[in-house]
Amino acid sequence: MKIDPNNHVPIFLQIVEQIAASIAAGVFRPGESLPAQRSLAVSLGVNPNTVQKALDELERRGLVVSRRGVGMFVTDRGNESALTQTEEVVAEAFRRGLIAARESNLTGARMMKIFENVLLEMYESRETP
Amino acid sequence: MSTIKGETIATEANGPAIELEGLTKHYGGTAAVENLTLAVPRGTTLGLIGPNGAGKSTTIKMLMGMLTIDAGRARILGLDVSENMPAIKQRIGYVPELHQTYRWMRISELIGFTRSFYKTWNDDVCDSLLDLFGLDRRKKVKQLSKGMLTKVSLLLAVSHEPEVLILDEPMSGLDPLVREEFLDGVLRVVCERQCTVLFSSHALGDVQRMADNVAMLYDGKLLVHCPVDELLSSAKRVRAVLRDGVLPRWQPPETIWQQVQRREWLLTVNPCSPALLDQLQAENPVEHVEVNSVGLEDLFKDYVKGRRGTP
Repeated sequence: MKIDPNNHVPIFLQIVEQIAASIAAGVFRPGESLPAQRSLAVSLGVNPNTVQKALDELERRGLVVSRRGVGMFVTDRGNESALTQTEEVVAEAFRRGLIAARESNLTGARMMKIFENVLLEMYESRETP
Repeated sequence: MSTIKGETIATEANGPAIELEGLTKHYGGTAAVENLTLAVPRGTTLGLIGPNGAGKSTTIKMLMGMLTIDAGRARILGLDVSENMPAIKQRIGYVPELHQTYRWMRISELIGFTRSFYKTWNDDVCDSLLDLFGLDRRKKVKQLSKGMLTKVSLLLAVSHEPEVLILDEPMSGLDPLVREEFLDGVLRVVCERQCTVLFSSHALGDVQRMADNVAMLYDGKLLVHCPVDELLSSAKRVRAVLRDGVLPRWQPPETIWQQVQRREWLLTVNPCSPALLDQLQAENPVEHVEVNSVGLEDLFKDYVKGRRGTP
């Protein structure tokens, strides 16, 4: 995980999104614990209160549950919910790109073409690293 | 009497770690700090930002009893700094902007010397930071680079396990690697105990990472004081495209900074709201309006430019 301290996205939200993505990717599986608040704070280089805020938010979203004195654990539906939430993050990123396209009066067909090209580019570079 | 005593102790333990009330300092006819009131709750970190000459260092020096206070008061852990500095110093750590220290001493001698002033000195904390920072205790202070000197300064400021840590532009002039190490050291201290931190900085990325709250000073006055996250979500950069040959007629009172260039009207507003955007479009001859988030660095610049009245 890596946070960007110069990004306009508040740091606790960056942490939320990245932990959610890690849960979606299966780095942390249902029933497993997340790293402790302090070790997350030191490894990410952020204030421990900010980490706590992120963990609270993840709990509010139902991805993890806290067990008093033990730590945070991925819930049974954590992986599934994380996937749904990651989809929303991706959709939001697309939305922003499309707004930029619309402001320049790009047609739907040209947008689709751009999307296809980017997709091809990424998967080709994946196959030949 | 015992209840009254009990209450005093309770307020001292639950009250803010740092409290400034109408703090004022004049140099000649000009106010370096004017009527500054703010509190730092226990266990939180406050980032103090502002352009050069805004009053950050003056504030910290008054807090540390190094400058007399012209008006108002400052309390640390419930104790007034003008009366209780020796007692306060046992419970706080301070890293100054300039490290004036005993150049002829070896690091080990400097540690021994500093240690003798504190009742609560913890050798384990000191040793673990020497390890973390990769410092050789046999080295003489005059042989140290600026980065190493800053790390020594931090180590000396936190080994007595202070409840409050005050850092005056600790990371200025350090290379990115040393900055990481320094921040790492501060974080360990903050994580191990519920330490309260006040630090001034020009590196807004560091403020965003380290601080719960941010206080922005300009010309000795407090411009903004709020949680960093709240500031980043409430402030927005609005870009409006004006119709041909017209100028904006109505400017939101929440405007921090604005600029008109040809048909583009840029304005930074805090806080932004749907009502503000509706009124902006209703009252002004604009074609369309776009709203974006702003990073702390840009927001800071906009506040300063807005105050100076320059685009």
